[in-house]
Amino acid sequence: MSGPEDGVNDEADIIYLPRWRLDGYRVGVHRGRDAGGLGTFRDQVSFLRLPDARRIDLRASLRDPFEGVFVRRFEARSPVETYALVDLSASMRFRGRADRRELAGTFCTTLARSATRIGDGFGLIACDNTLRDDLTLPATRHRAAAQAAAARLSEATCEGRGAEGLLEAARRLTGRPKLIFLVSDFRWPEALIEQVFLALALHDVTPVLLADSSEDEGLPNWGLVELDDLEGAGRRLVFLRPSLRRRWIAREAGRVERLRRICAPFARPPFRLADRFDAEALSRHLMTT
Amino acid sequence: MAALLPPLGLATPWLLWLLPLALLPLLLSVTRRSAVSSVAAAPEDPLSSGLRIALTAAGMLAIGGLVLALAGPYRAGERVTRTGIGAQISMLIDRSGSMNETFAGRQPSGAEESKAAASRRILRDFVGERAHDQFAVTAFSTAPMLVVPMTDRHDAVRAAVAAIDRPGLDYTNVARGLGMALSQFGAGTPGVSRALLLVSDGAAVIDPRIQAQLRAEFTKVQPNLYWLFLRTKGSPSITDKPAGEDTPQAAPERHLDLFFRSLGVPYRAFEAEGADAVANAVRQIEALERDPIPYTEERPRRDLTGWAYALAALGLLLLVLAKLAETDFVRTSARASSKRPADPAPANGQAAAVSKRAAA
Repeated sequence: MSGPEDGVNDEADIIYLPRWRLDGYRVGVHRGRDAGGLGTFRDQVSFLRLPDARRIDLRASLRDPFEGVFVRRFEARSPVETYALVDLSASMRFRGRADRRELAGTFCTTLARSATRIGDGFGLIACDNTLRDDLTLPATRHRAAAQAAAARLSEATCEGRGAEGLLEAARRLTGRPKLIFLVSDFRWPEALIEQVFLALALHDVTPVLLADSSEDEGLPNWGLVELDDLEGAGRRLVFLRPSLRRRWIAREAGRVERLRRICAPFARPPFRLADRFDAEALSRHLMTT
Repeated sequence: MAALLPPLGLATPWLLWLLPLALLPLLLSVTRRSAVSSVAAAPEDPLSSGLRIALTAAGMLAIGGLVLALAGPYRAGERVTRTGIGAQISMLIDRSGSMNETFAGRQPSGAEESKAAASRRILRDFVGERAHDQFAVTAFSTAPMLVVPMTDRHDAVRAAVAAIDRPGLDYTNVARGLGMALSQFGAGTPGVSRALLLVSDGAAVIDPRIQAQLRAEFTKVQPNLYWLFLRTKGSPSITDKPAGEDTPQAAPERHLDLFFRSLGVPYRAFEAEGADAVANAVRQIEALERDPIPYTEERPRRDLTGWAYALAALGLLLLVLAKLAETDFVRTSARASSKRPADPAPANGQAAAVSKRAAA
């Protein structure tokens, strides 16, 4: 399809590394805090501490002038839970170059696939003014269930006028730190953005800013456009001309910059998801931030 | 106030019930709507808000103008009374046989013109020289003939004057002619300058009883009296005393003059012995009669449908311009939708289908 021509690999997985050492007894793929099992070499401890004769490190034992016996320890691999927190307010119905809801759906599907493939749990919480329980999925490693929940997102109705439900979602996400992707266009009051990030500060949050090039760079130079707010803020006629276009783009850039400043203390910088979801770009973003 | 607000009317007033449709542009707009996630993304722009108001007004103007035009507006016809310079002039013209003769007392031949023709030529110029004069024309010989009642239609008056050189008849009966000429003034408005212009080439005895009636009439009407006496060469003048007895029968002109003088109204007699003298006399009369006169102007009903259509057209023009300037917020939507494949919904799992659709 369109994969090769714009260099986006649709089959790519989202690759992510939690920032911390996970704990827990279940086996996963990420570096755990505990030692045990097979995996990457971690350190050597005295046999007295870990009386595991299978893992005696002969070389280290012979080297020890005090003739102690050492045992190799390996890092435990643990799974992490990933959650997609999706804002389903009415502004998600926007269709520019891409359907915003579909874009969110694609992202969640890919995340569900990437997470469940390596044994991580995938959970989905959709919110508008309140929690959308019909779309919410607790973190699961069940591959089909995760995929189905993510796919449901593309067909979801978006009628709400706000995103206050995200605060409620943050209260639900208790327990161990999780990897959280906050998917929204972030057209909220700045106070709400700050509250939400504050509530999620415990987790590793990656804001996924849903954008569309038709909303800034793709604006026409000239023309009369009547804007109709999807969240019911009314209609507005705009006479686009180069000067106004420049102001518009600058305003959008300012908004993104403000978002970056607000989330800097609590989360990774926002990932701009525009027009088309590129899993490799997100992986790069996650690796470098 | 009535002059400022002329009475307006409508041919089919019930169509005005459609006029509330003109409020539609307040609810609907002419431009395509583009759904955006937030209108707050657009910066504040006074020009755009101004355009929105202008386009709404244009829409209201277009619908309102069309409804109004369909209803057929017009300004009702009316009579407007105005004041101009002029006078009511009642012309009393002698049609006796002697008017057919020249000033020399002969039948006209060759380039000569009769008294009637000369007075016709001169009076015709007199009529219509000032726009607001009103004229009545009465002819008389033995009996008076009402030719044109008092009117400001100068064409009719000129036509009446043009007819006075038709061959005349019979005698000169001034008394009845004067009576009819006076009656032409009618009730009339006060303050109007009135003039009675008697054009004759002779006179006749006025019966003393009729004299009394005429006197009363003159007192009532109070016209300025001008007598244009077309004197045939050699005939007695107004002022000539006859050689014999000084009776009305012997010198009717002189006695008519005396009678006019005794009426107590402003009176002047012009004795003309040729066409030039007649023209001169007429100019003098014209110069004397310079008073304000109220006159009515008939203003016809005027159709205002064109104006209503013009207003609607103006509104529509603005709307069409707006439509032409309209653009799509998302310009590449056509390309994007064409690229979206007709998903064959493969059976190998929902995930593949979803990822494919997402890839589109």
